[in-house]
Amino acid sequence: MADDVMERDVSVLEKERVAPVETLRRSDEALRLPAVAPPTALPLEPPLVPQVGEQTRAVGLRAQRPDSRNHGLGLTRYIDDIALPGMLFAKIKRAGVASARIVRIDTSKAEAMPGVKAVLVGSEIPVNSFGPSLQDQPLLAAPIVRHAGDGVAAVAAVTEQIAEAAIDAIEVEYEPLPGVYDAIEALKPDSHKVHGGDTNVYASKIIKRGDVEKGFAQAYRIYEGRYYTPGIEHAPMEPFTSIADWDANGRLTVYASIGRITLARCDMSRTLGIPISRIRVIGTVVGGNFGGKNEIRHEPVLALLAKKAGRPVKGRFTRVEEFVASTIRHAFTMDYKTGVTKDGRLIARQVRMVLDGGAYCSFSETTLGKACILSTGPYEIPNSLAEGYVVYTNKTTAGSMRGFGAPQVCFAYESQMDEIARDLGIDPIEIRVRNMFREGSISSTGQVLHSVKVKESLENAVKKFGWEARS
Amino acid sequence: MNVTITVNGEVRSASVPPETTLLVLLREHFLLTGAKTGCDVGDCGACTVIVDGKAVNACLMLAGQADGRTVTTIEGLATREGLHPLQKVFEETGALQCGFCGPGVIMSSKALLDEIPNPTTAEIRNALAGNLCRCTGYQKMIEGVHEAAEMLQSTTTPATLATKTPATPALAALPQR
Ligand code: FES
Ligand code: FES
Repeated sequence: MADDVMERDVSVLEKERVAPVETLRRSDEALRLPAVAPPTALPLEPPLVPQVGEQTRAVGLRAQRPDSRNHGLGLTRYIDDIALPGMLFAKIKRAGVASARIVRIDTSKAEAMPGVKAVLVGSEIPVNSFGPSLQDQPLLAAPIVRHAGDGVAAVAAVTEQIAEAAIDAIEVEYEPLPGVYDAIEALKPDSHKVHGGDTNVYASKIIKRGDVEKGFAQAYRIYEGRYYTPGIEHAPMEPFTSIADWDANGRLTVYASIGRITLARCDMSRTLGIPISRIRVIGTVVGGNFGGKNEIRHEPVLALLAKKAGRPVKGRFTRVEEFVASTIRHAFTMDYKTGVTKDGRLIARQVRMVLDGGAYCSFSETTLGKACILSTGPYEIPNSLAEGYVVYTNKTTAGSMRGFGAPQVCFAYESQMDEIARDLGIDPIEIRVRNMFREGSISSTGQVLHSVKVKESLENAVKKFGWEARS
Repeated sequence: MNVTITVNGEVRSASVPPETTLLVLLREHFLLTGAKTGCDVGDCGACTVIVDGKAVNACLMLAGQADGRTVTTIEGLATREGLHPLQKVFEETGALQCGFCGPGVIMSSKALLDEIPNPTTAEIRNALAGNLCRCTGYQKMIEGVHEAAEMLQSTTTPATLATKTPATPALAALPQR
């Protein structure tokens, strides 16, 4: 008897499990609901994603991304595809001047515009500074503008166009200040100090192994060169977009295309002056990150606008803002001095690098640290000295980007490696093999390395790109 | 102003402010969020849809200019029978990574294949010149378009048949929001 009941229940469940999509469709037709979704049977067969109880099919097979199906159908819900009822649109007015003091902001015209629901300036932000290591970056500049992309005021309005018109109607009077636009200039004692004080250097690192002077004294030849890499914008296809929404209990929900949820909550808690437990961040599918979506940008501003307006607020960067008001890859100036033996062994290397940090710290300390650690390359060099400095300039803030400084130093040490090989008449692959890390090598930081596969990787690569066959 | 377009086989209208772009009409009024806003100024192609057989940047066309025309968006490609060959191949070759450029790239490719069923690599590159992608490096997309062209030409695949017979008016399989 009991068994019968069980069986019946199971079969009912089975039926319900297969029915819904078709049932939904029929009822849609009957109700004449506005039909918006594609005439696609979901889920499509065969399913790409392993089903419950099914062994993962990925091992040994060419992998497919389980999310591509949704991407290809246009069904992936990125942050900008989300809209909340009553949502307003925010715009931030950018300074457009690189170094100035705000003397006066007049928002009255913007506030009087029909459709404008909230206006915000920097002085209204509870704690107007954030940053992952140094909290030196204001959400809206007040009163000092340190680069052209600094926000000075924000507006939330019923449409994007009205918000745009409203930020144009905000009048800002600036008193121009001197500026500094080059990292090397910024090191000089008489340069303009972006954050006051007596230096623009805000982080430094020194890594030492052995004695470079002794190494240089023993060297057969010494090579010196200066290498420079420029700043680079991540330029993800999806611009920074977020939605801030408060509930009546004073809890904040932020939907954002952001990679570090907890860091974002910490920064918001600090800037808004509310406990982290009242802040929920929902990270949406990211339309390209490349390291640029690691920290908050405008979220607390949106939250404060939403609070003033009593409605959810969405903000989306324009393509121009993506370049001027986000972070970029640090521009590096690197001086390399390398001593080699006659047979092409590196015995001493001294590196001095200056990173252009732009107006605020962001992930500069992390980038500097990694760049210094990696600056000697995948080569065992008994004597090395790496020194690095990051300086403030009145330019777009430099922050995290794929590799955190690794590509910049790689450009420098590999360029110099080629110069050395050419000068000594050694094959460029051969000189690398002679110097590269092997099992048990000691890195410039004193770390003993295991599972080293540099040689195998290079040999494989050489085979693949047909090095032997080169002319 | 009132705008009426045939979108994915369905006649739909909306009353919109005159400055509304086709992209905003599709995304915000018709809730077809497949076309993306990447730049809003015609640089990136993330908003590409097909208007009367031609791939256009929906962010550069006013809704009013699309009045009375036929628009196909990414949502109109798959049928109940299955994926469009482009969608299938793109997913198999890994031509979609973050996927943000995907709908635009697929629509540009579809417009190309509708016009030139067997395009050369140069023709594909040319057709995709207006679609930026920061993830894939384009190579897999170009291979994918070649592959999809082959699939479309072997008429036996059910997906091909499906794209040739217009589907019954779109019905909501899942609510969009
Ligand atoms: S959003 Fe239309 S081209 Fe970029
Ligand atoms: S897949 Fe990310 S932009 Fe093309």
